[in-house]
Formats: sequence, C-alpha cells, structure tokens
Amino acid sequence: MATTIQLNKIEKRYEAHIVIPGIDLEIKPGAFTVFVGPSGCGKSTLLRMIAGLESISGGELMIDGVRVNDVAAAKRGIAMVFQSYALYPHMSVYKNLAFGLETAGYKRDEIDRRVRAAAETLQIKDYLPRKPKALSGGQRQRVAIGRSIVRDPKIFLFDEPLSNLDAELRVQMRVEITKLHERLGNTMIYVTHDQVEAMTMADQIVVLRAGQVMQAGSPLELYNAPVDQFVAGFIGSPKMNFVPVQIADATGVLLDGQRIETGQVLEGPVGTPLTMGIRPEHISVSDGTGQAIGEARVELVEHLGVSTVLHARLAVGAETLIVVLPGQQPCRSGDVVSLRTDPGLCHLFAADGRALRN
Amino acid sequence: MTDAVHEVPGRASTHPRLTGTVRHVLLIAISFVMIYPILWMLSGSLRPADELFGGDAGLMPSQVTLQAYSDGWFGLQVTFGRFFANSLIIAVLATVGNVLAASLVAFAFARLKFSGQKFWFALMLGTLMLPYHVTLIPQYVMFRSLGWVNTWWPLILPKYFAVDAFFIFLMVQFFRGIPRELDDAARMDGCSPWRIYRKIILPLSMPVLATAAIFSFIWTWEDFFGPLIYISEMSQYTVQLGLRSFIDSSGTSSWNELFAMSLLSLVPIFLIFLFFQRLLIEGIATTGMKR
Ligand SMILES: Nc1ncnc2c1ncn2[C@@H]1O[C@H](COP(=O)(O)OP(=O)(O)OP(=O)(O)O)[C@@H](O)[C@H]1O
Ligand SMILES: [Mg+2]
Repeated sequence: MATTIQLNKIEKRYEAHIVIPGIDLEIKPGAFTVFVGPSGCGKSTLLRMIAGLESISGGELMIDGVRVNDVAAAKRGIAMVFQSYALYPHMSVYKNLAFGLETAGYKRDEIDRRVRAAAETLQIKDYLPRKPKALSGGQRQRVAIGRSIVRDPKIFLFDEPLSNLDAELRVQMRVEITKLHERLGNTMIYVTHDQVEAMTMADQIVVLRAGQVMQAGSPLELYNAPVDQFVAGFIGSPKMNFVPVQIADATGVLLDGQRIETGQVLEGPVGTPLTMGIRPEHISVSDGTGQAIGEARVELVEHLGVSTVLHARLAVGAETLIVVLPGQQPCRSGDVVSLRTDPGLCHLFAADGRALRN
Repeated sequence: MTDAVHEVPGRASTHPRLTGTVRHVLLIAISFVMIYPILWMLSGSLRPADELFGGDAGLMPSQVTLQAYSDGWFGLQVTFGRFFANSLIIAVLATVGNVLAASLVAFAFARLKFSGQKFWFALMLGTLMLPYHVTLIPQYVMFRSLGWVNTWWPLILPKYFAVDAFFIFLMVQFFRGIPRELDDAARMDGCSPWRIYRKIILPLSMPVLATAAIFSFIWTWEDFFGPLIYISEMSQYTVQLGLRSFIDSSGTSSWNELFAMSLLSLVPIFLIFLFFQRLLIEGIATTGMKR
C-alpha cells in the first residue's frame, strides 16, 4: 500500500535563475521524511514539484516506479497541507472537506461517510457547519489535515503546517501528526525549518542547502555523524560549538596551544588548520572526566530548570563556547571553570567544511 | 465610530456632543446643496406647466399636480413604459455580459500563464485611453455591414467580448489579492482552471463583481450616445432617447414632462444601488488563512 518516491536529478529553474540544481533522493514506502534547511533553500519548491503544482525543469520524478513529471497534481494520489492552511473561506468546514470529493465525482452518501469519518478522526465534528473564520488556528490546522485525508491519498505532503501555532499547540499537533502517520502508514513528507520538529517526527531527515541535499539519514545518524559542518551546525540545539584547531601530530590537535587527543588518525601536515565541533551537551565543567579543553570564564548563565546553559569564554584564544549542563548548577557569571569533553564525541572538519572520519 | 471617539484624547472627548452636532449640520448642509437639483426637478415636475418659468423659482409649487407624469408617460406614440422595458433589457443583458466577460478575461490575466501575457495586458490597458468617439465610426460601419443597425445588438453584444478594460483592470487587481494557495489547494482537489474560476474566485469576488455590475448598469442605463447612433425606430427607444423626444419633437418643449420622466428614470438606478450595495461588504478571501 505505501508508496515509494524517487527523485532522479530533479532540477528547478526560473528562467536563468537556478533554484534546485539537481537532487537525487529516494523516499522509502511508509517513511516519514522531513525536509529541513534554512529559509529560501528550496524546500517548498521541491515539495510543490512533487505535488505537481510546480513544473519540473529537469530530471525524473517517479512514484511507485512510474514517471509522473507530466501527470496532473490531482492524479498523482497526493494530498498537501499548506503553509497557510488555505481553507476555502466561503465554504463551511463540511464543504471544505467535501469539495475535493465532489470534484472527483463521488456519490453524495460516499462523500458524507468519508467527511464524517475524517471529522471523527480529527475531532472536528462539532465544527462541520462553521466557516473557517470562526475557527481557532489549531482547529483550522485540523480541518486542513482533514481535507487531505478524506481523499485517501497515497502520499501526504506538509509544508510548515505548524509554523504559526503557539508553542503548546505545536507540540500537541506534532504528536497528532505522528500518530496519524502511525495509524495510516502512508508515505509522508514534511517540510520545516524547526529542527526539533525534524528530530522528533522523522524517520528520515533530508538537510537541504541552496537546493542541494547535504545529507539524508535518520535523526540520530545526522546528530552523531554529520557529513559536514553545515549539517553539524543545523542539527542540534543549542548549536554545536566550532573552534579553530591545528593538527599537532598523528592523532592530536592543538586548541590554543593545548594538545587534545582526538582518537582518530589525522592526515595532513602538522599545523594544518581544522575546525573542531563540540556539542554543548558534551562539555562538562571542572570535576568531570575526559580531555581538558581549558579554563573559561562564565559570561552568562541561563537556568532552564532541566538544564543549565553557560556561555563561557576561553581564557586563551577567547572563543565563546556554549555549555549545557544537566540539572540545576550553582554557576554564576564571572566564575572561572575548567571545561572538559569526551574526545570520542568531538567532530573535526576540514577547511572546506567536510567532516573528517576514520 | 464610537471607538474612534474614545481613542481620541483631549478636545474631541471633552465636547463630543458639540463636535458631533457641528459635523452633522455641515454634512446636512452639503447634502442639501448636492440634492437641490433633484428637489428642484421634483418640484418642477409637480407644478402646473405654466408656472415653471414664471418668475418664482422657489422649491414649493403653489399647486401640486401629477398631470406632467401622465402626460409624459402617455404623451408620445409609444408609452414610456415601453422605453423602460427596452432600457431594462439592454442594461441587464449588457451588465451580465460585462461582468461575465470581464471576470473571465481578468481571471486569465491574474491566474493563467500564456505567451505574451504582459504585452496583451498592456495593450488592453492602452484601450482605456481610446475615447469612445474614436471607435464609434469604424464600429458603426462594421455593425451596418452586419445589418445590425436599428437593433439592440450593437449595444449588447460587444459587452460579451469584454470590451471594458476598466472593469477587467479592476477585477485583475482584486483577483491578485486572493491568496494563490487557494488555487493550489483547489488544484490538489482536482479542479480545472474553469472550476477554480467558478467555485473559488467568483464567490470570493462578490465585492468587485457588485461594483462592476452597479457601474455597468448605471453607465448603460444612462448611455445616450450609443442608442442615439444605432436606434431610429421609436418602439426600440431607450429611456434616454425617450427623454430627448420631449425637447425637440415639435419645437415646443414640454419641460415639466421631461422633469417627471427624468425623475422616474432615476428610480432603477437607486434600486440597483440598494440591491447590490449589501454585496459591497469587506472581502472574506483571506479569512481561511493563518494570521
Ligand atoms: N516564481 C519564482 N521565481 C523566481 N524565484 C523563485 C520563485 N519562487 C521561488 N523562488 C526562489 O526559489 C528559492 C526557494 O524558495 P522556496 O520557497 O522553495 O524556499 P523555502 O526553502 O521553502 O523557504 P522558507 O523556509 O522561507 O519557506 C528562493 O530563493 C526563492 O527566491
Ligand atoms: Mg517554504
């Protein structure tokens, strides 16, 4: 039942302006795939090409092995939930759900059955006679999802559906969409620039930048083994710390004159500049074990309750590192702490941003 | 209105009564100046014919009579009722044509992609600058060779070919304000452009359609030149041509009959305005979106 989507060298040009220079990607049947990337990187464009709303300038789009480049949007078996719900304002919720089915020529009682079933699933039964303007943001969101499920599509596409909801509702809708995916088992693609959404919902995350796939993989793959500095900085919150280092010997680097054992074999002459990436949650203070990074002066403390975030400036070298400590720590700004990390969890990047790995 | 009064601090809120009164007196005075010609026409139509040019040009007639109305209505060899019916048929058909055709063309410009789109749009706007009178003669020649002179076709049929660039422009602007994601959603729902036009764009465009309908009706109703050129038989006359008959028919113009019928000719315009006005409410096109 679930559907495979295959992108072969998909391109998008607006006249001379190249938005997507060529993407190869396979989306496995039933997977929940999340496209993330900075604003303007082409996420919506890619999604709209898959939906059939935007023409494909080059390459092939295959759904279940069939080329669909020239198949009309409605014939691809795809439903889409839009960035701004795009409910038909002049129609009641019932009509909004029924409209696609009416267009497809379903019988009246079949339409009624499906609309009521969808309304039941999404708990919007009470709003069926209302117009969209009489609904709250969260209710509109549900109607928009309802409109997509009534047609029983093979593939669901979501374009930043939660971006305008408040924090609490986002978490709630996130869970509901995940549940919906588990129940229906359809192939779904979800666009967001919120990496928490990406990490929590995805089977597969595709990180895009300037119309290119930087890395595709499971959330933990991307977290543990980013292929380059961009992905490393994009996945994880707070962001990974990057500090300049130089190769000291076969397995060590120099950070502000201090040798740090990396646990991996380094190629290249001594003194080659590299970038070391250390996640904030992999740094500990003072009494911890592991490799010492150096003394640092605390400039700012954020008490989040569940964790404590320090902004600490290294005594030598003056880079600011962000440190996340578990629980509630008695740190104050102005304190001097000595930072340590587990070298096995650190990342090294070459000057071109590529990750070095054994 | 009341909100506005509360928001303004200081002077306005210390004497809200006074400013309100002053404003109303002013508005009433200006309205009176505006409406005076109509009142004078009304009074002219109600007084005896010989009193009309007799020195006293005040508003109050010395004696009220409906003579002018019955004389005017039945005075010509065809009753004025016939003219009203003619005008109504022409104006309604022309209005329907204008609204349908202009909205279709506007939809194409606002939503579809075709080659030379910008050029055609500019060309269409260019026709706004052509005065009516420039195209009149070639048009007349064309309709004569079609054998349509002395019929209503020249007054009605062109409207079904979206000749009025003004309405097209108005609608293009309005359609562009309707979120494109609605079209996208409709396309995902399987709609053809034709169905998007009918089911999404038109229902959301009531304000602009009503505006176009009102103006189209009023302009056609008030058109004197078109009927004058094309229609020569009295049984085909529109109201405006009928009114002219009072002036030059025999050299002795019946002014108070003219006033009476002129006044009646305004009634449909009032009615149209009242009827369509409630459609001129604020658009709802964006109420299904975020925000
Ligand atoms: N019609 C168009 N003509 C030219 N360029 C366009 C057009 N539509 C989009 N673009 C460009 O394509 C690029 C990708 O746009 P897209 O909307 O896909 O970004 P996005 O990743 O969805 O961004 P966001 O996170 O802000 O929604 C942008 O640089 C944009 O300027
Ligand atoms: Mg987008």
